[in-house]
Amino acid sequence: MIIEEKQEIAASPEKVWQGLNNPETLRSCLPGCEEFELLGANKFLVVMQAKIGPVKAKFKGEIELDDINPPNSYTITGSGKGGVAGFAKGVARVSLASLNNGDVTEMNYRIEVTVGGKLAQVGSRLVSGAAKKLAGQFFEKFGQELSV
Amino acid sequence: MYDFNYHRPTSLDQAFEIFSNSEDASYLAGGHTLLPSMKQRLAAPTDIIDLGGISSLEGIKSESDELVIGALTNHDEVATSALVSSEIPSIAKLASNIGDAQVRNRGTIGGSIANSDPAADYPAAVLGLGARLVTNKRVIKADDFFVDMFETALEEGEILQEIKFPKPDKSAYQKLPNPASRYAVVGVFIASRNGSVRVAITGAAPSVFRAPELESRLSESFSVEAIENVTLESELMNDDMHASAAYRASLCVVMAKRAVADMLKIS
Repeated sequence: MIIEEKQEIAASPEKVWQGLNNPETLRSCLPGCEEFELLGANKFLVVMQAKIGPVKAKFKGEIELDDINPPNSYTITGSGKGGVAGFAKGVARVSLASLNNGDVTEMNYRIEVTVGGKLAQVGSRLVSGAAKKLAGQFFEKFGQELSV
Repeated sequence: MYDFNYHRPTSLDQAFEIFSNSEDASYLAGGHTLLPSMKQRLAAPTDIIDLGGISSLEGIKSESDELVIGALTNHDEVATSALVSSEIPSIAKLASNIGDAQVRNRGTIGGSIANSDPAADYPAAVLGLGARLVTNKRVIKADDFFVDMFETALEEGEILQEIKFPKPDKSAYQKLPNPASRYAVVGVFIASRNGSVRVAITGAAPSVFRAPELESRLSESFSVEAIENVTLESELMNDDMHASAAYRASLCVVMAKRAVADMLKIS
């Protein structure tokens, strides 16, 4: 499943780039995120509680940043296990473009998500909507935080 | 099963108090979403608060120009109620086509609405009729109630108590059911009252929504022809193994036309 969206943020690409690389900002924007720790260079441990309707599962996983091209683009690869609920993997390509002489940044993201286990069996009809909603919540909050 | 605390309060206040004092509580109505999720270990609440002992959540009554249905009323009770059939027959028909007999005898109207599954039938009737949702704290208008996929205006611990449906002049519901689950691939509820028309669509997008273009065309001329050439934007529609977004967008108009045809048959 692929999610492709773009969003405008009222901040310069440099500022958006800093946010995209700041564990504290990422932690506070990721819905249900409980831990976001630096493990090593561009590698983070993430614990998040995903709650969509009746489903509530805790995912533990790692996030890695690749193809880093500051302040323009990078790739986030994340994979997590939700115990008996199953697993989820995602690769997000994020790129930034300067608008309005750098006052506004257009952020484009393209996410490829794979889920497996019970989540996929039971929730196949809901997975795409759920992933879109979580991604939307993250980028909306991220945009708000940086625009302030 | 794993351990959890089971509570069966007899009043809304008591239920809310237990919820507030629990670590991670869930209310239990008919249990047709919660229990399968728990069995799959996709949810593991510490406390289950069974609402089945609260009598103020039950009953169907007619109050001047509104039909009032208690949140714990199950689908079969709604489908077979003489009062519902005489006041708003489209709701009885909608309820009679939910799931199968087992689901209809356990699942509740309040559970369905509070859960707000993207493919549930009742949200279409709530939004299409412009119902008022009474909770233990306040009254919420249908237009303000449905927020997003599985997300409503209900706050943490807030309990849906009853649904007040304004009686329309005419109304109808048409859906394409998924052949296995009977969930709506797309379901369209249309109601007309004093010349104004409301159209609510479920199943097609992450949450039930109104279709302003269909509404304005039908308000101008209430006929199948009036919406013949409408195309809805497929960009925001659900796209999954059951139906593509473009197919869902097209189904919205097809189901709307069928509902209009049904309403025109009502004298």
